[in-house]
Amino acid sequence: MSSPRLEALLARLYTDERALAQFLADPRGAALAAGLDTDDAAALAAADRDGLVMAARSFAAKRAGRSSQAR
Amino acid sequence: MRDRFGLGWRPELAAGILAHLDRIDVVEVIAEDHFRDGRRALRALRTLAAQVPMLLHGVSLGLASTVAVDDARLDRMARLMAATDAEAWSEHLAFVRGGGIEIGHLAAPPRTAASVAGAAANIARATARVGSAPLLENIATLVAPPASTLDEAEWTGRILAASGAPLLLDLHNLYANAVNFGAEPLALLRRFPLQCVATVHLSGGRWITGPGGTRRLLDDHRHDVPDGVLTLLRALGEWAPQPLTVIIERDGRYPPMAHLLAELDAARQALAQGRLRKAA
Repeated sequence: MSSPRLEALLARLYTDERALAQFLADPRGAALAAGLDTDDAAALAAADRDGLVMAARSFAAKRAGRSSQAR
Repeated sequence: MRDRFGLGWRPELAAGILAHLDRIDVVEVIAEDHFRDGRRALRALRTLAAQVPMLLHGVSLGLASTVAVDDARLDRMARLMAATDAEAWSEHLAFVRGGGIEIGHLAAPPRTAASVAGAAANIARATARVGSAPLLENIATLVAPPASTLDEAEWTGRILAASGAPLLLDLHNLYANAVNFGAEPLALLRRFPLQCVATVHLSGGRWITGPGGTRRLLDDHRHDVPDGVLTLLRALGEWAPQPLTVIIERDGRYPPMAHLLAELDAARQALAQGRLRKAA
C-alpha cells in the first residue's frame, strides 16, 4: 500500500472541499473512482473522518495565510 | 561540541536576535524564503552566517513520498547552501504535493514500507544533489495517516536506518501526535531512534475541535512551549548523551524578545536537568 495515486487522492482531499465531501459520502466509491486498488480503497475508507476534515481545514488556513503575506 | 540553543530566523524577530547574539548560539533560516534571492540578499545571509552559526530549513521538498523529488528544487537548496555557507540543512518527513496538486503545507504520508523506500530514495538523491544529507524532521498531523501499516516511531526509525541521515526531532510535533492519537508522550519519545537526534525543535500550539467533536492539538508555532514539551526535552537530555542543537520556532503572535529569551533559558535549564539526571 501507499502509492503515487494514493498520495494524489490525499492531496485532492486536502485541497478540494467538494472532493472531500464526495469522499466522506462514499469513501470506498470515491477511492475506487480515483484509481486506487481495492486494498488502498478499503484502507482509505477506514480513515479517521474528523481528522481528515481537520487536516483539510488546517491546510486551507495555511494556504490562505501564505497568500495574504506580502513576502 | 556542546549543547546549543537558538531561534528560528524570522523578519519580525531579526532585530531582536541580532541584538542578543550573546544569548543565541544558532539561528535557523527558512530556505524557501531565499530561493529567489539575488546576489545582494545572499551576501547578507552569508554575513549573518559569519556572525552566528546558521542552519537552513526546507519546507517544500516533500521527501517522504513515493514520487521522486524534483531536481530543480534540490538545486535551489544546493545553491543556497553554497551561497550562505550554512552549517547544515533540514527537511521534513512529509509529502507536500500529489498528482500535480500543491497541498500548501506538510502532510503525513501513509506510513508503509513503500513510503519508507520512497523517502530513502529521495533522501539519497537529495544528499547527492545538495552535497550533504538533510536532517530529517518528524511532523505533526491532525489525521492518523490513512492506509498506514507502520506506527510513527517504527516508520521514522526505518527511514533513518535506510538513509543514514540524522534526526531533527520536533518535540512539540511528537507531543501533539502522542496526545492526539492516544500515546503517552514519554513512551513515544523512548521509541524514537534517539541516538540519531542532532537537532531539536520546540514550539507551541492550541487545541481545536473537529466537526464531529474530536479535539486535537494543532502545532501552530504561535504559542509558548508547553510544560509537557519541556518534560520531553528533560528526558531527551537524559536519554540522548550527544550534543544537541535546540531551536525554538515561532511563526506568529510574536512576544517581546525578552519572552523568547526566557523560553530559551527554560529550554537550557530543562536539557541541563536531564544531563544531570543522566550523570547521577
